[in-house]
Amino acid sequence: MLYQVLEVIEQANGSVSLAELSQQLQIEPGALEGMIAFWVRKGRLKEATIAGCGGGSRGCICGAYPNGCIFSAAGPRVITLASPDP
Amino acid sequence: MTTLEMSFHQALFRYPPPIETELNRLAELFAQTPALADAYPPRWLAIQALEGDETLISDIRTLGGPAVAAALEESLNRLRAIYGDDLDVVLVDQRYRFVHTIATQAVRRPATPPVTLSDRIDRVVTNRWLGIPIFLVVMWVVFKLTTDVAAPFVDWLDSVLSGPVSRWIGALLGLFGANGGWVESLVIDGVAAGVGGVLAFVPVLLTLYFALALLEDSGYMARAAFVMDRLMRALGLHGKSFLPMIVGFGCSVPAIYATRTLDNRRDRILTGLLVPFMSCSARLPVYVLIAMIFFPAHAGQVIFGLYLTGIVVAVGVGALLQRTLFHRQPQAPFVLELPPYRMPTLRNVWQQMWERTSSFIRKAGTIILATSIVVWLLLAIPIGEGEFADTPVDQSAFAAVANAATPVFTPLGFGRWETSGALVTGLIAKEVVVGTLAQVYGGAAGDEGAPGDEAATLVDDLTGIAGGFATAVGDAVRALPGIVGINLVEAEEEPAAEGLATAIRTGFMASSGGHGALAALAFLVFVLLYTPCVAALAANRHEFGTPWMLVSLFGQFAIAWLAAFIVFRGGLMVWG
Repeated sequence: MLYQVLEVIEQANGSVSLAELSQQLQIEPGALEGMIAFWVRKGRLKEATIAGCGGGSRGCICGAYPNGCIFSAAGPRVITLASPDP
Repeated sequence: MTTLEMSFHQALFRYPPPIETELNRLAELFAQTPALADAYPPRWLAIQALEGDETLISDIRTLGGPAVAAALEESLNRLRAIYGDDLDVVLVDQRYRFVHTIATQAVRRPATPPVTLSDRIDRVVTNRWLGIPIFLVVMWVVFKLTTDVAAPFVDWLDSVLSGPVSRWIGALLGLFGANGGWVESLVIDGVAAGVGGVLAFVPVLLTLYFALALLEDSGYMARAAFVMDRLMRALGLHGKSFLPMIVGFGCSVPAIYATRTLDNRRDRILTGLLVPFMSCSARLPVYVLIAMIFFPAHAGQVIFGLYLTGIVVAVGVGALLQRTLFHRQPQAPFVLELPPYRMPTLRNVWQQMWERTSSFIRKAGTIILATSIVVWLLLAIPIGEGEFADTPVDQSAFAAVANAATPVFTPLGFGRWETSGALVTGLIAKEVVVGTLAQVYGGAAGDEGAPGDEAATLVDDLTGIAGGFATAVGDAVRALPGIVGINLVEAEEEPAAEGLATAIRTGFMASSGGHGALAALAFLVFVLLYTPCVAALAANRHEFGTPWMLVSLFGQFAIAWLAAFIVFRGGLMVWG
């Protein structure tokens, strides 16, 4: 089942929502969340929800703000396959 | 509303036989080892060990001793021979299969999932055909707010800074016997004009950040990013590029660093080259100043058009680079989930407004202050006749230096030393363009003095400030219906800072052969598209190296020049 999740994401054409993925795999949305979290922990998937400065310190004004980048923006939750390319 | 039904029966969970055998063996061993049995449940510890929990494996080795460690290693080796390195995946997968089997048997869901309010809104807001028009309408409202509603407060703050505050500083200097000399000129014409000219735009940024915070906190910004992503993908750009580009609306520097979230170096470089085209908030004071002078009745539309131009240029350049320098690559698939809509909270909105505006004020007190002093110094140094701090601005060292760059901008309609100088100092930070224009044009217009400043007392000043604020509040409230097309406020014939506005208008008219508005529009397009600031260049160099930084610097300059040329010369052909 876990590998099925990876396969379906790999074969998706562009973006797919969690609801679509859940319907396609016939997996409960809650279980699917757990499976994605497992693959994120394993480093096979990557997840991002906030667009921030990515930790730039030198020359970046966010260094002055202890809570992080003030220009970070809440974006959609994006889960992608982790690329082997550095 | 009942959305699902559940019933429970007893179910027994077992791992595959080879794993169960090793689990039982290890659990029994751990149970017989008091140091381990006292600290952990034996079967749970065995499962964690087989899943490769390094902390617990270390504990087993330490507390269990060499015999237990050897037994664990043997169990792992036997299972690896069957399952390879994915033993942990097999264990977790078995649990999910069990959960799935139970859920399939026990949970009955309605044939069609219930539709939430968020789903209903998203059907319209993220619709393939309506998504982009709705995004454009939202952005238009934001820029109407930032110009029409903030404008009365800008006028008020500008009149306070250039009137009473400048007089108070002058009076204070007089107390120390420093009035009338170069010190007064430095403080009033340098610091107060340069920094004050920029600070007058704080209401604009507060309004912009208020609107953006509302959009972000409500969940709409995520939808805007989704809509943008679809557009970019349609043009062959990397979908994840939109995240740094959204940050670019705030500031280019963190946006360049945000490209680190992209996996591929080529995508990072390409996005890093496009991010500076997204109009950062530092450019907004320049837009507002020039748009209010030349297009007072349509300032909101002009600014909205500039932001839109930035997006179009970024997407166009990106699509071009993707097909040439960076070669189009197949799109990577991804899962995308939008957060539910929610009511924005006052605390979040205020925090975002304040933090972002305070960074602007902080910049005014550091970079902009330092640049204003340098510009004043260059304006104070006479070339030829005149004395230090008492020379006509067009006879100053600043004018001589800025004149060297003027021929580059002559074909664009703004080839005068004042604008050239402002664009060059704008490389330090975009807000400095406003400060420099205030200094160089204010020098010519400033001798007129603020109305009634000779007779004003402290009480008069304070009464005037309070009265002006009340008027600004009234004007802003009356401007609100204008956002939906109901105009209760007549467009101002002359903006509040009349002397400065007249000087800037005269300058643009002179440099463009009488086509000041066209030259001003070309100037705004140039400000939109040329290098944001040295900090952005440093971030570019830090992330991608010197060659790409130079590509960004000269590439943006060339695109900005070409776009401004098309606006001015094209406009002359159509309207000239």
